[in-house]
Amino acid sequence: MSWNDFAVRLVLIVLIPLIGIFLGLLYKGFDRKITAMMQSRIGPPWRQPFRDVRKLFMKENIIPDNAVPWIFNGAPIAALVATLVALVYLPMGPFEPVMEGYGDLILVLYLLAIPAVAMAFGGLASGSPYATVGAQRELVLMMSYEFPLAIAAVTIAWKYSSFSLGVISSDPVWNNVGMMGGIGLALVLTTMIAVLPGELSKIPFDQAEAETELAGGILVEYSGRNLGIFYLAEVAKMVVVGTLMIALFFPHNISSWYSFGGPEFGGFILADVGADILFFLLKLLVIIFGAVSLIRVAFSRFQIDRASYFYWVPMTIIGLLGTFLVVLEGVI
Amino acid sequence: MRNEGKDETTYEVPIGPIHPALKEPFLIKFKIDGERIVGAEAHPGMNHRGIEFMGMHRNPYKVIPLSERICGICSIVHQHMFVTAVEHAASIEPTNRARYIRVIMSELERIHSHVLWAGVAAHEIGFDTHLHFTWMIREKVMDLLEYITGNRVNYAMWTFGGVNRDIPKKMYPKIEATLKYYEELYGKLEEIFLGDPSIRLRTIGVGVLTKEEALNLCGVGPTVRASGVRKDVRIDQPYAAYGDLDIEYQLPSLYGYKDTGDVFSKTLVRLKELVQSIDIIRQCLDQIPNEDINSEPKMAATLNKLKKADGEGIGRIEAPRGEAFHYVRLKEGKEELDCWKVRASTYNNLATYAPMFMGEQIADIPIIAACIDPCIGCMDRAEIVDVNTGKRWEYEHEELQRLSVKKTEKLLGGLKR
Amino acid sequence: MPTATIYTLIKQLFTKKATNPFPVKYTPDNMHAAAALIGSGKLKINPYVRIPPNFRGKMSYDKESCIGCKLCLKVCPSEALVFKEEEKKVKHYVARCTFCGQCADICPKDCFVLTDEFLIAGTDKYAEELIINP
Repeated sequence: MSWNDFAVRLVLIVLIPLIGIFLGLLYKGFDRKITAMMQSRIGPPWRQPFRDVRKLFMKENIIPDNAVPWIFNGAPIAALVATLVALVYLPMGPFEPVMEGYGDLILVLYLLAIPAVAMAFGGLASGSPYATVGAQRELVLMMSYEFPLAIAAVTIAWKYSSFSLGVISSDPVWNNVGMMGGIGLALVLTTMIAVLPGELSKIPFDQAEAETELAGGILVEYSGRNLGIFYLAEVAKMVVVGTLMIALFFPHNISSWYSFGGPEFGGFILADVGADILFFLLKLLVIIFGAVSLIRVAFSRFQIDRASYFYWVPMTIIGLLGTFLVVLEGVI
Repeated sequence: MRNEGKDETTYEVPIGPIHPALKEPFLIKFKIDGERIVGAEAHPGMNHRGIEFMGMHRNPYKVIPLSERICGICSIVHQHMFVTAVEHAASIEPTNRARYIRVIMSELERIHSHVLWAGVAAHEIGFDTHLHFTWMIREKVMDLLEYITGNRVNYAMWTFGGVNRDIPKKMYPKIEATLKYYEELYGKLEEIFLGDPSIRLRTIGVGVLTKEEALNLCGVGPTVRASGVRKDVRIDQPYAAYGDLDIEYQLPSLYGYKDTGDVFSKTLVRLKELVQSIDIIRQCLDQIPNEDINSEPKMAATLNKLKKADGEGIGRIEAPRGEAFHYVRLKEGKEELDCWKVRASTYNNLATYAPMFMGEQIADIPIIAACIDPCIGCMDRAEIVDVNTGKRWEYEHEELQRLSVKKTEKLLGGLKR
Repeated sequence: MPTATIYTLIKQLFTKKATNPFPVKYTPDNMHAAAALIGSGKLKINPYVRIPPNFRGKMSYDKESCIGCKLCLKVCPSEALVFKEEEKKVKHYVARCTFCGQCADICPKDCFVLTDEFLIAGTDKYAEELIINP
């Protein structure tokens, strides 16, 4: 690695998490506005999440008497850092992952598990019965959705014989399969869509927070800066999961179909790069609308055993069936 | 948090006094084993405001507006009961037109209450979309109540011997339009609350109250009608104009469902009562006689009559939540009420919590807590406070019985002497 | 799993919203200037909700025809009416009033009328406009 390359990467490593947080807050505002509109309400302005975060960081940070302070305070930071680190290993738009070659899909999946574990630990450390119940639920839910998620990831990785996200996203997976594999991939995609609300703790899988049952569950004792950091981790996770889904299933770029031409910079055609970035943002928007906003308002919260069953039985079977079809086609 | 000793897997989760699952201050202590409820203990008394005591220091006319402030949603119910009780005690007869207007208002409030409940129930299972939907359509009946009485929440409609405001012919089109609006939307409500798969998943088989339990625990209203108990004051002991109207017990078995007593059948009963209310209002508008709205147009005359009245009376009506009851005693020469006792439907239905919660999950707590449509503001009527020590407690059944026996013995002893 | 709810939700995305908006989105810095702008038609406001026909608002009191019979004091549930012995008239505290209208019903001379006025909120409950016949 040359010094020049090193410097560029260093700048990007600082820059990309900030962009991720900004995008996350932007999409959170979009999500809130669009859900309000679907419920026939006017809803908050799109910049409301920015205001919320600013206000949360101004508020007093209360640590309960019977909490374990270092875990209680450490959990939000661990959640945020893990989420942001995952962002550097993911391809965004037309660009390869910044840390391409240093980490792959497996690492991203591990990093995605950390926020949930951190939240559960934070809940257990806050010494409230609601938070304890919430933490138990979060862990149960995590154990349930990780398997379908792993099935989806492994299926794609098998197709490319590589876990590198740079390789996977360089060529859309749909181009490499036939009819039967296409059906298999669609099934795997269904699993992935079903995992998304669980991964992001949204209704119908928000049992860990469950406002009406547990008064906020794992977050019940959190306030001020700590809650603000969790909020940022949540919105960043939305971008991470969305980007992961794009990288696995929809890494299409406009530049591969049509080139606008025009001035170039460092090997990139600027107009094409711009179009690709916009296309990427649009894909993210559609995924967040379909897998978060719409599902969030169209279903009620499941009981935890039903949610666990949903992931362990129907989703796992669908995912495995999809994998089987893809592999079968590959073998034939 | 964890219990020491032999039963190590259970822990206690308090729901309340302030909790998002409850809309009013109220405490239920749950014993939880994992996610299962193995014990539930209700502790009411957090919302006691001493309204009965206040009422006993005012004359009956001043108590009418006070009685409607017992609860925001049952304001018509409590007015109706109180006025009926005082009329009973002082032998005042309301006119027939007033009786019909009272029925119309009560049924409008039933529509309001049931639609509101449906929204709350949807919110409790995390379905805010339907909370917003039901509360949007609830605006229509509130607009109508405002149009008839002049105010959105506290209607000040009742008075002794009749009602304060008439429903003239020119108001009929708007009432009819509102009823039509609900008739058209009913199909959609049914589609949502009886047909939506994720709501069915959360309501069928949850919070089951069997018929025996319902009868043993003296539950009232839609809560026990869902279990197949034929209990409705409007039919059992008609008041106002209900005797002239065609009403039927709304049981799930009437519509081809089983009387299971779970949350689903409670929802069903409430939705069917909404249709029934529309029908009752139509019947009333057809049959309403043309006469005065008050048997004694001069309020001052009634005020004097109440001062001279001596006796006790009861008002017993079917509130949207079930049977509720007011007891009033008047003494001759005493302007204030001698005694006033309110017993709201939630007080009876609270006992049905115990069998409904047992064996369910934490996730079902909010919907089961909501399924009896609890109204703590109506219910909390008594709390014992030791003025000297500031200690607060509630009397248990045995203690109350012991005290009653003691009092009776004292009275009997007094008679003997 | 497409349910009926999803179709409704997508439909509601494009239909008119049920919320009643405030007349203006944000409180104007200067109320009088904003009122002047509205009057001249330069500032458009959202239509407000009309009050119902027999709305019960702030009480008006006809002091001249009052005979001082004290009947209204007997039925006022919130002690909003206070009798002035020297004048033989009543004083009405609007802040205490519950707008039940019983005083208007019992008054033999019909001194009380419930008007349409509803903008009576204030920070000082003893303000001049919140006491009738002080």
